[in-house]
Amino acid sequence: MSLAIETIDLVKTYKHRGGASNTVVDNLNLQVESGEIFGFLGPNGAGKTTTIKMLLGIIGQTSGVANVLGREAGDIEIHKRISYLPEKPYYYEYMSGLELVIFYASLFGIRDNDRCKELLRRVNLANDMNRPLSTYSKGMQQRVGLAQSLINNPELLFLDEPTGGLDPIAHIEIRDLILQFREEGKTVFISSHELSDVERICDRVAIINKGQLVAQGRLTDLLAGGRVEVTAEGVSDAVSDSLRHENRIVSFKDGRLILDAPDSDDLNGMIDALRNGGAQVVSVIPRRKRLEDLFIEAVAEDDTAKGRQRGRMTDGNSDGTKSAEVEEVKTGEGDPS
Amino acid sequence: MNAVLSIARTTLGEAIRRRVLLVILLIALLLLVIAPGMNGLTARQSQTVLLSLILGVLQLSSAVIAIVLTVYMIPNEVERRTIYTILSKPVLRWQFLLGKYLGAVSALGLMIMLMTGTMIAVFAAFQGPNVETLASLARVAMMYFVQMCLLAAVAIFFSTFVQPVVNFFLSGGVYLVGTVFGSLFATIAESQQLPQLVRLAAQLVMLIVPNFGQYNVQNSVINSGAQIVGEGIYYTNLAVYGIVYISILLLGAMLIFDRREV
Repeated sequence: MSLAIETIDLVKTYKHRGGASNTVVDNLNLQVESGEIFGFLGPNGAGKTTTIKMLLGIIGQTSGVANVLGREAGDIEIHKRISYLPEKPYYYEYMSGLELVIFYASLFGIRDNDRCKELLRRVNLANDMNRPLSTYSKGMQQRVGLAQSLINNPELLFLDEPTGGLDPIAHIEIRDLILQFREEGKTVFISSHELSDVERICDRVAIINKGQLVAQGRLTDLLAGGRVEVTAEGVSDAVSDSLRHENRIVSFKDGRLILDAPDSDDLNGMIDALRNGGAQVVSVIPRRKRLEDLFIEAVAEDDTAKGRQRGRMTDGNSDGTKSAEVEEVKTGEGDPS
Repeated sequence: MNAVLSIARTTLGEAIRRRVLLVILLIALLLLVIAPGMNGLTARQSQTVLLSLILGVLQLSSAVIAIVLTVYMIPNEVERRTIYTILSKPVLRWQFLLGKYLGAVSALGLMIMLMTGTMIAVFAAFQGPNVETLASLARVAMMYFVQMCLLAAVAIFFSTFVQPVVNFFLSGGVYLVGTVFGSLFATIAESQQLPQLVRLAAQLVMLIVPNFGQYNVQNSVINSGAQIVGEGIYYTNLAVYGIVYISILLLGAMLIFDRREV
C-alpha cells in the first residue's frame, strides 16, 4: 500500500519576540496509507491544525520532511489533487451555495456549472443551492464546504473538525459522506474531537499531545485487549483467594464474584477454575475498549511522563546541571493554532 | 490568470456590499447633492467654491474608501480562514494578492464613477451643461482614481505585515505626506539655510513616499486661467508614474506575503 502522507521528524517551532520559542509540532512521524480514513486526534492546542497547515504547504516546517502524495508538501501540482475543509469555515456570505462552488471551481480552471450543481445535489443541497450562504445553517455550511472540497475530484481530503458543532442528523449525513469518499478510493485525513465519529469511520488513527505523537496504528489493533467481565455465583473462598492472588477480582460479595479477563486465554482459564471449584458462571460480557479510553490513557500517560521529565530537569537545574536545550529555530514566526 | 480574475471578482462582490463603505459612499453622495446650497456668493465665486467643494468631497471620500477597503482585506481573509481554502487550491500567493488588489481597485473605480456621475449631474444642473468644464471634471476624477489606485497599493503593501489599525494610520499618513506636505518637504529639501542632514532626510522622504500631490489637477478646472502645459504628456507621465509605483509596491507586498506565515 502506498503512502498518501508521510512525515519524518517534522518540527514546527514558533519564535516569539524576546527570544522565547514554542515547539508546536515535535518530531512527528506520520504514515497515512492511500485509500484509508485516517483520524488525527489530540487535545486542544496539540498541534493538529499546525500539522495540517504544514501538509498543505500554507506554513513551512522548521525541520523534517512532509510528503503528500509522493511529493513535497506545498508543491502547487499537489494542490490540484488534494482538498481542504477548515474548521468553522467562513464563506463569502453574499454568494449562494452554487456561486460559491462555481468560484472554487474557477480556481482550478473548471467551468462546468453542471458539475457544481451535481456536487451540491450530492451533499443534499439541491433545493437550497440558490439561497445566499448567510441563510444557511451550520450543517448546510459544512455540506457546502464539502461540496467545494470535491470540485477537483481529490485523491486526498483534509477535513478539520468536519462534524464539530453539528446536530446529530447533520453528524450522520457528514459521516456517511466521508464513508462514501473511502468507497470511491479517496484518502481522508480527519482531525477531530468527535471520538465516536472517528471510532466509527476511521481505519487508522494517530494521537498527538503537545506536538508529539503518542499513539498511531489501526483502530482494531489499538483498541484490542478489551476486557471481559465474568460473573459467577457460589464461589468458594479457596477459588476467590486464588483469583485475588492474580488481581482479577472486581468485586466479591455473598459468594457472587465479578472478574476482569484481559484476553481469551485468561478467560478460559478463569472459567475452568470457577467451574472446577463448584461455582456457576452466570454471565460473560465483553467490555470493548473505546477510543475515548485509549485517547485519555495515551494523553494522560504522556502528560505524566512529561511531568516526570520536567521534574527531573528542575532537579538537575537545582544541582547546577545543564537544562534541556530549546530546539533550534530555523524559520517561522507567529502564533500556533 | 483565471484564479486572479476569480479572486478579483469575488473581492469586488464583497467590497460593494460592505456596509461601512456604503455608508461613506452615501455620505459623499449626499454632500455632493447638497453642495450647491452651501454658498451664497456671486455667480463667479459660486462656481469656484462649488467646484472646490465637490472635488474636495470626491477626493476625501475616495481616499477614506480606498484605505478602509484595503486595510482589512488580507487580515479578514486570514481571520475568517477563507484564505486557507483558497491557498489549498492551485493558487499561488502572488495570484491571491494580485486578485485582491484588482478587486479592490475595481470596487474603487465603481464607487468613484458613481460619485463622479453625481458630481457632474449636480454641477450641470446648477451651473449649466458646459461641456468643456464637465469634461475637465471627469479628467480630474480620472486622476483621483489613479491616485487612489496608488493609495490602495500602499495600503495592501502595509497590510502584509502590520495590523489593520496601524495600517489605517500608516497609509493615511503616507497619503497626507504625499499630498498635503509634499511641497513642505520639497521646500525643506531645497533650503540652503537648513542643515545638510535635515535636507537629506526630506529628500529621502520625497524619494520613498509617492508623490500623490501631482495627481491633484483640480486647479486647471477651478481657476479658469490656469492651464496645464502639454496636457497629454503630463497625464501620460502621471499614469506611467502610478503604474511603476504600484508595480513596485505590489512586488514588495508579494515578496513579503510569500514568506509570511498565515
